[in-house]
Amino acid sequence: MAQIIGGLGTSHVPSIGVALDKGLDATPEWKPFFDGYQPARQWVEEQKPDVAVVVFNDHYNALFLDRVPTFAVGCAGEYQPADEGWGPRPIPPFQGAPDFAWHLVDTLVENWFDPEVIQEIKVDHGLQVPMELFWGRPEDAWPVRVVPIFVNVLQYPVPLPSRLYHLGKTLRTAIESYESDERFVVLGTGGLSHQLQGARAGFLNPDADRQFLEDIATRPDELAQWSREKYVETFGAEGAELIMWLVMRGALSPEVLVRHQHYFVPASMTGAGMILLEEA
Amino acid sequence: MAQLTISPEDVAVEASLEAAVEAARDTAAGIATIPDTPLLDRKHQLGGYRLNKMAMGLSDPANREAFLADEAAYLDRFGLTEEERSAVMRRDWREMIRLGGNLFFVLKISAVDPVRITEIGAHQVGMEHDAFLRERLGKRV
Repeated sequence: MAQIIGGLGTSHVPSIGVALDKGLDATPEWKPFFDGYQPARQWVEEQKPDVAVVVFNDHYNALFLDRVPTFAVGCAGEYQPADEGWGPRPIPPFQGAPDFAWHLVDTLVENWFDPEVIQEIKVDHGLQVPMELFWGRPEDAWPVRVVPIFVNVLQYPVPLPSRLYHLGKTLRTAIESYESDERFVVLGTGGLSHQLQGARAGFLNPDADRQFLEDIATRPDELAQWSREKYVETFGAEGAELIMWLVMRGALSPEVLVRHQHYFVPASMTGAGMILLEEA
Repeated sequence: MAQLTISPEDVAVEASLEAAVEAARDTAAGIATIPDTPLLDRKHQLGGYRLNKMAMGLSDPANREAFLADEAAYLDRFGLTEEERSAVMRRDWREMIRLGGNLFFVLKISAVDPVRITEIGAHQVGMEHDAFLRERLGKRV
């Protein structure tokens, strides 16, 4: 059966992608941020996972308000980068893993999750940036296939944190019942604290961000019991997308090894954090 | 593979789900009490549909050209109210958000007519840009 080897959590701030596009990653402003990802890049290079399940949200680049799935699973063979207003970024398309994706959809439905099933969609910075941070930007092709899980965190009602945690547990069931010898990682993306809208724009909460990076490893059950309101209050309106990390954490064992974590503030207007969790 | 019967385990899962739902219960009204956080105001959010649809159009290069060539004509294709149209033409970011524009749509306007996201932030707060960078984001400027 397939195996889950670890989980990666990271912010997916678009300006990180812009910094890479402009070759700013070695500048004094950005170097400390990108340096923080080196240990995780090295881990990924050593472990060479076959499939990355990437939990993220589209930022109204591929999906509009005319239909808003709470959860959606990408079953496509390929995902092109979306045009977010500046033209598609110069990165290779991502290869999907449709066979596993359909198995995941089967498993979800059999366990009372009913996702939208997507066979054609583009992916925005929410998926691109985490992939570039952990795999680097390849010339021709990504060395890993992806299964995107889209979560609505922008138009209320968004799902409960506990529901996302439970989704992660069901994702684990799907991986462990998949007849294959492939090795999987799960990426939880988004956050950490930031708010972009309203008079509270520019809200940051570095103390809470650092605490979250501790608690996601050691006390995920508690984080899953928080209300959505508490996420918005603590991390800001857009920072509340941090609930997507709970899918990643739910997919892992209760006991995990924290291999690396890093925090940098602010990346653009966001507290940017990452964590690498390995199955114990 | 399919579970065709409800097992005791399923019932337990459902019970734990219900407990979790109870523990996490909050309401849109409750969330809307967080000060200065407009995205949870459903009436405003729904009111922004036209504005957001106009901005979504800017994902298409042909529409970006149309916007740059004749902004008023481009806006008119989406049936905006005068209030919405004026907010866009004046690049009144705070007003666009107040009218239900979501920032991720509004940013598409900033891709066509470049302005930094921190400037949009500062404008919404009503602060000078440098002061916003210092006081809200902790930058040394």
